Amino acid sequence: MSKPLLTILATACALALPALAHSRPVTLTAQLKNYGGDGAYLAAYLTDAKGAYVRTLWVAGGKAKYHKHLSDWSRLSAGDAKRLDGVTGASVGAGRTLKVTADLADALIDAGYEIRIDAAAEDMRDSPSEVRVPLSKANAGKPQAGKQYIQSVTFQLQ
Amino acid sequence: MSWKAIHRWLGLTIGTLAVVLGVTGAILAIDPVQQAWQAPAAPGDLAVAPLVERVTRTVPGAEEIRHLPSGAIVVFSFAGDQPQASYVDPVDGRVLGAWQASALPRWVKNLHRSLLLGDAGRWGAAGIALAMGLVCVSALVLLLRRMGGWQRLAARVRGSLAQRIHVVAGRVVLAVLFLTSLTALTMSASTLGLVALDTRTEPEVLSVVTGKPALPGAQLATLQSLAVQDLRKLNFPGATDPEDTWKVATAQGQGWIDRYSGQMLAWQDATFAQRAYDLAVVLHTGEAAWPWAVVLGLVGASVLLFWLSGVVIWWQARRQAPHITGNTPLAQADVLIFVASEGGSTWGFAQTLQDALSQCGHRVHTSALENFRTTAATRQVFVLAATYGEGQAPAHASHALEHIARLNASAVPVTVLGFGDRQFPAFCAFAEALDQTLRAQGWPTLLPVECIHQQSGQQFAQWGVALAQALGEPLVLAHVPRVPPTAKLTLMARQDYPGATGQATAILRFAWPAQGLGARLRGHGLARFAAGDLVGIVPPGSAVPRYYSLASGWEDGFLEICVRQMPGGLCSTHLLGLQTGDSITAFIRSNPGFALPRTRRPVLLIGAGTGVAPLAGFIRRNDRRTPMHLYFGGRDPARDFYFGPEIQRWLGEGRLATLQTVFSRVPDGGGYVQDALRRDAERVRSLVAQGAIVRVCGGRAMAQGVAETLDVVLAPLQLNVAKLKAKERYAEDVF
Repeated sequence: MSKPLLTILATACALALPALAHSRPVTLTAQLKNYGGDGAYLAAYLTDAKGAYVRTLWVAGGKAKYHKHLSDWSRLSAGDAKRLDGVTGASVGAGRTLKVTADLADALIDAGYEIRIDAAAEDMRDSPSEVRVPLSKANAGKPQAGKQYIQSVTFQLQ
Repeated sequence: MSWKAIHRWLGLTIGTLAVVLGVTGAILAIDPVQQAWQAPAAPGDLAVAPLVERVTRTVPGAEEIRHLPSGAIVVFSFAGDQPQASYVDPVDGRVLGAWQASALPRWVKNLHRSLLLGDAGRWGAAGIALAMGLVCVSALVLLLRRMGGWQRLAARVRGSLAQRIHVVAGRVVLAVLFLTSLTALTMSASTLGLVALDTRTEPEVLSVVTGKPALPGAQLATLQSLAVQDLRKLNFPGATDPEDTWKVATAQGQGWIDRYSGQMLAWQDATFAQRAYDLAVVLHTGEAAWPWAVVLGLVGASVLLFWLSGVVIWWQARRQAPHITGNTPLAQADVLIFVASEGGSTWGFAQTLQDALSQCGHRVHTSALENFRTTAATRQVFVLAATYGEGQAPAHASHALEHIARLNASAVPVTVLGFGDRQFPAFCAFAEALDQTLRAQGWPTLLPVECIHQQSGQQFAQWGVALAQALGEPLVLAHVPRVPPTAKLTLMARQDYPGATGQATAILRFAWPAQGLGARLRGHGLARFAAGDLVGIVPPGSAVPRYYSLASGWEDGFLEICVRQMPGGLCSTHLLGLQTGDSITAFIRSNPGFALPRTRRPVLLIGAGTGVAPLAGFIRRNDRRTPMHLYFGGRDPARDFYFGPEIQRWLGEGRLATLQTVFSRVPDGGGYVQDALRRDAERVRSLVAQGAIVRVCGGRAMAQGVAETLDVVLAPLQLNVAKLKAKERYAEDVF
């Protein structure tokens, strides 16, 4: 099967499953460093065990012109026409915290899925896959450090 | 809406915000200048491959190389967990120091592009840029109108200080300011999402793991053939991802290179929109060339200058705006007065005329010229018309001529009175054009067209006498112009002459009251002046100032005039009666058309009688020893050779190159000054052929005689006085 088709199938499952099976809200909290720049653009998204894009959890920063600086997300999610539907907000200032909630199917947990965050800020370098957190029960509540912009990121399963 | 209205109201309202953008823009221009000093630019012939080799050697963990628009090389890396950005010397890969995108606080840039108001502010800033573009376009239209076309764009600017600042600075920076507005709009269009720069997604390409080791960057053929000066950005493949690729970005586009084979896996050309945007950024920020950033900084700061001078110009015009009192409704009026005024002073004359006619029992209606019409009740029409620039109508009456040409004439006499300045080549041209149109249409007139020079109240009163006779009514036109703030001047010294025909004459020297800067900015006290400017003196018992040409500049430390007793003259009697220590009240009126520009060209000065005064002032200040040649005409060397001893001294000092004197009332005196010019025709022609500037000062008959003589003398050069005037090489100060 071709890769895009697989991706679409996976996406369809992930999105359809919550309606059929159990799902739970996942809260993602990202605390930004004082990196000394303008508000950061962030894209939080889910990839599967093979590194294929599943769905977008949140995009902070509304100007499409700058979305290419979130380069991994931008490339991986290119086939997802609805990637921005209902999951966008303002860019996140240095030192501030982003807190978003998404409904995730139980089946995604402990199944090799990863939460990834791409980050970028004006005049500074892009940081694709700034942080990658495996979506496992064991990781829940454990802060993880990012490379450049993110002080720590934590997800909570409810 | 007229261009003038657009320019004025956009400038006064949105211009206030544009000042914020201009000043912050000027501050932001510091960055490119400062960065230019921080790191050397990459040499033009250096290829990317050796640069990669040097960088990998000196910067462990390098992830990205950026070639900044300034030419400097910046390398991004990680030192442990710490992201680093360093300037690198492209020649040897040496790390020069840390790089920062800007040395300025971020709020400066955010104030500049969004007024610190987020997205709403970005729309606002784009609106300001659009308004500035419109202000620039309207400015060009007004500038061309004022100067009289493209050919005369570089000509000397006349007007008040604020007008001169506004126009001279505008001439210099208009194009850059317009470019800045356009580039700002280009940048806004993509930031606000109105234009998509590149809707394509990046191709999904991976390095193909073959088991062979990855190639070092220096061995990639693409990087060997790519010059650093074409490079924008080079991203190294990630150390932990074996399928990652090299990514190279140039002005032309971006490509992905396999880390094992060195093959270009994919290439995307930059879109047209992206290239246009990149060009706009470089032009708007000056980041590619610091001298351009300096230009942009100065232009940004000039917005403040334009706004301030613009506000002053608007305020001055507002103060002179028409306030006609006692206006009768049009339908009931038997006398109509129509006014075309540029600065507003002509309305003052209209008010005087209206008051005088009303006192004679007329019902008078005064209106702007564009409203020209007659009614059944109309018995007389007067048109008071000022001329603007090269013979144009004042802006508000720009279509009046065509309007009048379309009307059918009636039997009501229409009398035209022009206002202008003889120093302009097209003195009262608009009034004359109006008069011709009216006559061609068949309107009768009460009096032939008359032109008032420099708002002369005396000349206006004389016209009033003629009008009173024509109407058969006891009409008196006593125009009281608004007198600017005056200062007190104390007589230091006087030098008396018996005068040529028994009329006493004296050179009066007053102390110049030096002003502090604060007083000058507030417009208090006496303005600075130069020889050739005019001093307005209000004699006791009169409200009408008399003007005298100044024989000194403020730099001389005194104010000197030459006053001849006029029969029954209120002001000359007052002045000639002054003793040392007595004082007068006076103000300065600049006479920029007559003042001498800084020049190396020869200067031909022609004066008669007291008319030598401003010319003496020019010679006195000729510290640069410009070759000045004086033709002086008097009547009797024993009686009216004004400034005689000084002129002889200046001749010795080289301030005056040559002197020709003629005296009309002594045997073998040489006749009049025009006779001397005719005798010296060869020499005068040679001076004018060398580009000489000519200044003539004296009575009207003398000035006319000189002009006629010079027309004859200069004919072999295919030149005449009118042509010299048009080139601003010939000016008269006539009394």
